[in-house]
Amino acid sequence: MNAETPPLEAILAGDRRAVARAITALENDGNTAHTVRAAVAAHVGRAHVVGVTGPPGGGKSTLVSGLIKQLRGRGHTVAVVAVDPSSPFTGGAVLGDRIRMGEHQADEGVFIRSLASRGHLGGLARPATDVVDVFDAAGYHTVIVETVGAGQSEVEVARIADTRLVVCPPGLGDDVQAIKAGVLEIADAFVVSKADLPDAQRTENELLSMLSLRRSPAANPPVLRTIATTGEGLRELVDWLEQRTQRGSRHASTEHQAARDLVGSSIAADGYARHLGFELVAAARGTATVRMRVGPQHVNFNGRCHGGAIFSLADMALGLACNSHGTIAALIDGNISISTGVEPGDWLVAHAIEVSRSRKLGVYRVDVNRAGDQAHIASLSGTVYITGKPVTVAAPDGRPSLAPLN
Amino acid sequence: MQLERPPKVIITKIGFDGHDRGSRVIAACLRDAGMEVIYTPPWQEIPTVVKLAMEEDADVIGISSLATDHLIVPRLMDALRDAGLADIQVIVGGIVPAKDEKVLLAAGVAHVFHPGAALDDVVTAVRALAAARRARQGASA
Amino acid sequence: MNKPVPQIAAADLSLAQARWERAFAADAGQPEPLRNRSGVEIKPLYSPHDWSGTAYADSLGFPGEYPYTRGIYPTMYRGRSWSQRQLIGLGVPEDYNSRVKEMLALGASALSLIPCNSVFRGYDADEVPPELLGTCGTVINHVGDMDRALDGVPIGDLSTAMNDPSPFTLLAFELAVAKRRGVPWTRITGTSNQSDCISHFVANHMFFRIALQGARRIVVDHVAFANEQVPGWNPLSIVGQHMQQAGATPAEAMAFTLCSAIQYAEDCIAAGMDPDRFLSRFTFFFDISVSLFEEVAKFRAGRRIWAKLCRERFGAKNPRSWRFKFHGQTSGVDLTRQQPLNNIARVTTQAMAGIFGGLQSLHTDGYDEVFSTPTAEAARIAVATQNILREEAHLTDVIDPLGGSYYVESLTDEMQQKIEAIIDLIDAAGGMYKAVEQGLVQKMIGDSALAFQKRVDAGGETVVGVNKYTVEEDSADYPALEYPDRTRMDEYLIRLKAFKAERSAVAVDKALAALAAAAQSKRDNVFAQVVASAEACATHGEICATLRRELGFGQPLTIV
Repeated sequence: MNAETPPLEAILAGDRRAVARAITALENDGNTAHTVRAAVAAHVGRAHVVGVTGPPGGGKSTLVSGLIKQLRGRGHTVAVVAVDPSSPFTGGAVLGDRIRMGEHQADEGVFIRSLASRGHLGGLARPATDVVDVFDAAGYHTVIVETVGAGQSEVEVARIADTRLVVCPPGLGDDVQAIKAGVLEIADAFVVSKADLPDAQRTENELLSMLSLRRSPAANPPVLRTIATTGEGLRELVDWLEQRTQRGSRHASTEHQAARDLVGSSIAADGYARHLGFELVAAARGTATVRMRVGPQHVNFNGRCHGGAIFSLADMALGLACNSHGTIAALIDGNISISTGVEPGDWLVAHAIEVSRSRKLGVYRVDVNRAGDQAHIASLSGTVYITGKPVTVAAPDGRPSLAPLN
Repeated sequence: MQLERPPKVIITKIGFDGHDRGSRVIAACLRDAGMEVIYTPPWQEIPTVVKLAMEEDADVIGISSLATDHLIVPRLMDALRDAGLADIQVIVGGIVPAKDEKVLLAAGVAHVFHPGAALDDVVTAVRALAAARRARQGASA
Repeated sequence: MNKPVPQIAAADLSLAQARWERAFAADAGQPEPLRNRSGVEIKPLYSPHDWSGTAYADSLGFPGEYPYTRGIYPTMYRGRSWSQRQLIGLGVPEDYNSRVKEMLALGASALSLIPCNSVFRGYDADEVPPELLGTCGTVINHVGDMDRALDGVPIGDLSTAMNDPSPFTLLAFELAVAKRRGVPWTRITGTSNQSDCISHFVANHMFFRIALQGARRIVVDHVAFANEQVPGWNPLSIVGQHMQQAGATPAEAMAFTLCSAIQYAEDCIAAGMDPDRFLSRFTFFFDISVSLFEEVAKFRAGRRIWAKLCRERFGAKNPRSWRFKFHGQTSGVDLTRQQPLNNIARVTTQAMAGIFGGLQSLHTDGYDEVFSTPTAEAARIAVATQNILREEAHLTDVIDPLGGSYYVESLTDEMQQKIEAIIDLIDAAGGMYKAVEQGLVQKMIGDSALAFQKRVDAGGETVVGVNKYTVEEDSADYPALEYPDRTRMDEYLIRLKAFKAERSAVAVDKALAALAAAAQSKRDNVFAQVVASAEACATHGEICATLRRELGFGQPLTIV
């Protein structure tokens, strides 16, 4: 380590200056970053990492501020990673998120670090996972990661957090559809913020009815109401957080983690996906979930969603699932059956699973549902040929992808 | 995709004045110049600013001052030193009489800007100060 | 336009106009269109084509009649001049008291008190760095301080304006003093200046750091209390000055102010108050920039819009409720550090704009305003300026003298359109409270400030002595800042400590507990308990801390 690398002991002792400089090193992404990553890797797994995602203006910061107050009241130390968007034109940013957590600015038991997204596509900032690890190693009891709240942040939060909170302010309108479109798999709890507003009950009802349509309602995430200005609901929310046991689970299953990374890189490198507006919702080895919102570019001459677009979405999910093992696979035979017409504006979610796989062949099935009412839209079944060559896509931030897995 | 993070600047007010038109304009210009800016409400206490600078590993702190707010800037400089943050550059903008300006510079303030200072000059100065701090820290790559 | 001008005359007029336009173009070419600060395009000439006075009754009216465009009183300054209310505030209560006595001797007809910034922030003098005390205002932390500050001042006969943001402890202290002196509260007149919590939240001027919704409640309670118990008091001064100083254009400042007023009025109506009772006690406070005609038009349009809002949106029936009363202060942000004596000319122009705009009370800045609170000499010149305009230039002999000017009437109409468009925007966002919680207003103001600064830097907007007509100046030429006497501050702190030791701790605790209970109750009048606490000798800092605990901490939302 050079003179500027904060010593590991200092980080582990929770020395704030050392922690801050370690985070800067991660942001700068030079040699020091690798050193920091390697050094803290053995000391992670104790902190409870809570991801908070939701639309802009939804009250995330106020909620986080309320969570901090509760946690501090119970004697816990809290670290916050607050992500703000960078301007795509100038590269500059105003890091205004932490300013909304005003009452904690002087509390020594709270460490807030702002990260600018800097063009990173996932709704977080590229070093976010590593930064969380530094806080974990430094001994913070809870690490809260607050996203920018747009784009694919749900996916990133899924990777980075042990517990994922999705904040739904009342009166969302259209955004509720987006939340339904795939985020069900990700949320560990839904929080209806600003619950004193008149629309709050309706939002809560919509969420509950959406959840009731799921295949296994027993495993449903809770829907909690909060009024951050009065603190109502926050005690219950933190009680619920305390009994969650999944600390460090984000590191547990590295196999799925690697597959997720690969699938994420793959879709980011896929020109056709970009063209049609496909978004990755979830991925693991052998499965992938992709969503799209039906827009003008998907519509046929009868004013409904083009069958080809539905096929493409299903095929995307299939392609990602069968390539998630790290070996190139391609569809050689596929059959789609479409049961219901789809209107512009609908959100479609395609979920691919692996039915069987041998050395050279694989069979996959994809179900396409409509987000709003979980109606079944189409099924695609396909056979893929496994080439044996490794998948090599560049990661969205320019780093080479991980080595293939078998 | 840049590897090194852009200059990180805190724009804040530590005295009792609440006028922040000038500092807000500066903050917007710094953002438009590609920097990462934390812009606080007025009336921040010195320990709060020190904590903020430490957690964010700021390169430059810009203090906006009116009336006699600048009189407590030396306290900020002491607090930064005590916290091991003497390498963070501090600039002051606002109404500062000449004799007080000497006191501030002696206390370690890097530059005092007066009303009417051109925005470009402020941006250039901040960039230079951030670069100087990074250079002193040594290349991290 | 109702009454048609006779055909032949109209044709002549058009021909003459066309002739003039050609002659103008031949000489001046086609210059770039000019715009005022609010963005309204300004032509080189206005004529009956732009405004012809045929809608006089509807759009102008006579002074003292709906829609009050020409003035809220039939007599305006012929009946009574505007109040010369010069801001005073420096040092300790005794310093304030001597300055007040000087000002009264010089002819000031009303008093204003501006407290130390530490008071604005919600703290007592012994809780803050001593270097910062008393520099921008007088330190007043309890009823004893107020008693000393107003020693020898006939508070039952003189109007006092307290610069007094939430929770209005200065008024509480004055009421406590009145009780001590046997002056009935019904004789206390004046204004809670700058009592507009939204304005402080947006433009960061002294927002006292409780949650915005908590401040909202205190404002309504304060209005209700004053309406009942201090009927001669104007509890609400809704402020456009902060926002304009922060960079809002004149149209934006007027619009945002009216939007805040709408929220306050609607909150009061929702609390069961009668608009015909509280509206006549709403006052406004505006910045007056050096853009003279724009300011005149802004004020005339404001009067017209407010009258309509009161009559139609709030349902007030008494014409007295529809009157737009405002105090104007010449704008400090137009003043420069360079060549400071030039500021006298600027302040004169701004004062003229206010007078032509029909204000009810005027504060003229000292030329050294950019440096600190004014020196005695600068304060004297500021008052003399008003006297000269009134008594030598005779600006007040005619009511609304610019009325009927083709330019001023057209500009009034155009400013009204701009203002109403912004009001619609804020309404669409759910009202001013929602708009500021989202940062919408702050963003608009910030954008205007940045645009203006860029124009100045690029030379598009002249500032004499700064970007044009500059001279080399020796900084030693600047007038020395007047710092308050540190020894007097130290003595003050000792007296504060003695005061806290000598009062009944039991009474204070009881009063503060009642204050906390009122805040929790959601229905009791919080301000009534603030007054009771003041009478029990609780300090400003103690009252604020109690409210902050109960109603929540809050800071302005600053958006870049």
